[in-house]
Amino acid sequence: MHTPHNAHVKRLLAALIILFVIGFFAKQAFQPKSFGKYGHYRADAIMEEANRPMRLMTNPSCVKCHPYEAGHQMTGLHKTISCEFCHGAYADHIKDGKKIGTLPVKRNAEITTLCLRCHNRAIEARPKQVIKTVVMPDHLRAQKVDEKHSCNQCHYVHAPLKYINHSKKIMGLI
Amino acid sequence: MSAAHDTVASLANYVFPNDLHVHWSLMIVLYPYITGIVAGAFIVSSLYHVFGVKQLKPIARFSLLFALAFLACATFPLLNHLGHPERNMNMMLTPSPTSAMAGFGYIYSLYGMLLILEILFIYRPTMVALKAKSSGFMRGLYTILTFGSDNVGPKSLALDHKIISFLAAIGIPMACVLHGYVGFIFGGIKANPLWSTPLMPVIFLLSACVSGISGIILAYIIIKTFKKEPIDFECVQTCLNYLAGFFIIDFVFEMLEIFSHGYLRTEHWHMVDGLLWGNLYNTFWVGQVYMFSVIPMFLLGWVCLTRVHDQVLKVVASVISVLLLLQVIFMRWNVVIGGQLMSKSGRGYTDFIPQWFEKEGILVALIIMICPLIILYILSKIFPFWLEGEKTA
Repeated sequence: MHTPHNAHVKRLLAALIILFVIGFFAKQAFQPKSFGKYGHYRADAIMEEANRPMRLMTNPSCVKCHPYEAGHQMTGLHKTISCEFCHGAYADHIKDGKKIGTLPVKRNAEITTLCLRCHNRAIEARPKQVIKTVVMPDHLRAQKVDEKHSCNQCHYVHAPLKYINHSKKIMGLI
Repeated sequence: MSAAHDTVASLANYVFPNDLHVHWSLMIVLYPYITGIVAGAFIVSSLYHVFGVKQLKPIARFSLLFALAFLACATFPLLNHLGHPERNMNMMLTPSPTSAMAGFGYIYSLYGMLLILEILFIYRPTMVALKAKSSGFMRGLYTILTFGSDNVGPKSLALDHKIISFLAAIGIPMACVLHGYVGFIFGGIKANPLWSTPLMPVIFLLSACVSGISGIILAYIIIKTFKKEPIDFECVQTCLNYLAGFFIIDFVFEMLEIFSHGYLRTEHWHMVDGLLWGNLYNTFWVGQVYMFSVIPMFLLGWVCLTRVHDQVLKVVASVISVLLLLQVIFMRWNVVIGGQLMSKSGRGYTDFIPQWFEKEGILVALIIMICPLIILYILSKIFPFWLEGEKTA
């Protein structure tokens, strides 16, 4: 079979043209419909993000049913901390005004791990004048308590210095 | 947990919480490494096809396939790093003309097409001959790859030659753009004192040539040795001469960049200084500079300036290639990881220790680096690296 000397180049060019045409139509077909309406992004994405169900509902939502804990928390050193920061998301607990699950309660060593998320001196970026940081177990040794103690055995977690200061007052230390 | 603990323990001074974690990990080290090998291998081929360096003829075709095998895997690290590989075509569907990162989609695609076309044209006479000898699937494959044309007459080959020269000629700036662009991505990040320099694309491009040529020399010697075929030492010697040239300029630029920062005491020099003599001391000074630059520099000087026995050349060329391949990957590491170890606070450093078994760990990196070699093996079954006549030459 004899083929012209430039047959392969012509076929190649034809294949490339077909490829570009397919690419052009694929772009038209698959480009999201709302793309470019406001800018170089999909306009529908705004409403999709806005319509996401909320998971975190902030402290006033918790206070309604937990006034006792909130009373301590709002008068103590942790007053600026969100309940959900330690307890988990509201959405895992309440849905449409009804309880759907119990948020996990941290105990013993877990409590210490939780506290050290903020109060660990190894995290050098913490501003020391704002958050009291400690080195474990040096802090327990300095306080002359068992090294196995978890933080909440001395500190009431919702108001960390409340009972410590109270007992110091009774003993006349402050 | 233990890795996180180590990281916290190894923090130095004041590190912003969002600088704690190194986001661009091993995968981003591999990505410029692989594209660098592609660009370097293509330049070896262009030296023969465009600049007429006849001594490189034995590896001119092989280096194109070598480049294609690595190009096919260049996106693997990125797809793994970003997650959602199914979204990769969005870059083409909604192109962003002002995004340097999005530019990769076009540069990569155009360069890939160019490379494939050049290989098809160069291999056309070979494939026409192979098609006549083969049957079944391979015959069908060769028919598609030759675009159904058996014409290998002088007129047809002359046309092919013109097209090959054209493709190779526009391929050089494209190879430079492909890799210069990768350097540009880093050089364009002005918040990072280690990256933000207009020299970055130049350094990346030169180190790309070094890794590409080293890769070609090493692969050529290994394949020829295993196949018990004679090695063309004139070709290896020529490659080493070019390698020496590229490497000297590359190494000088790498050092100049550091020294000029140091001499000028630029704004963030105290951070770069602390980094190079602190966390990066082993990988930069001991690895990249002393072991994998100074030693190969002396070896290159020896084999390029004096005449050595062929068998000695074979061993020394392999050693130089391995050392320089390591030099380039250490350089990528020091740039990519090193740049992220400095906190934007300008006062503290974090640390990065790669893990073996994680999404972007050492094992995955090794698997990604093996993929091009598997693809190269498959390509060798379709496009023979060396012609029958060359084996005995």
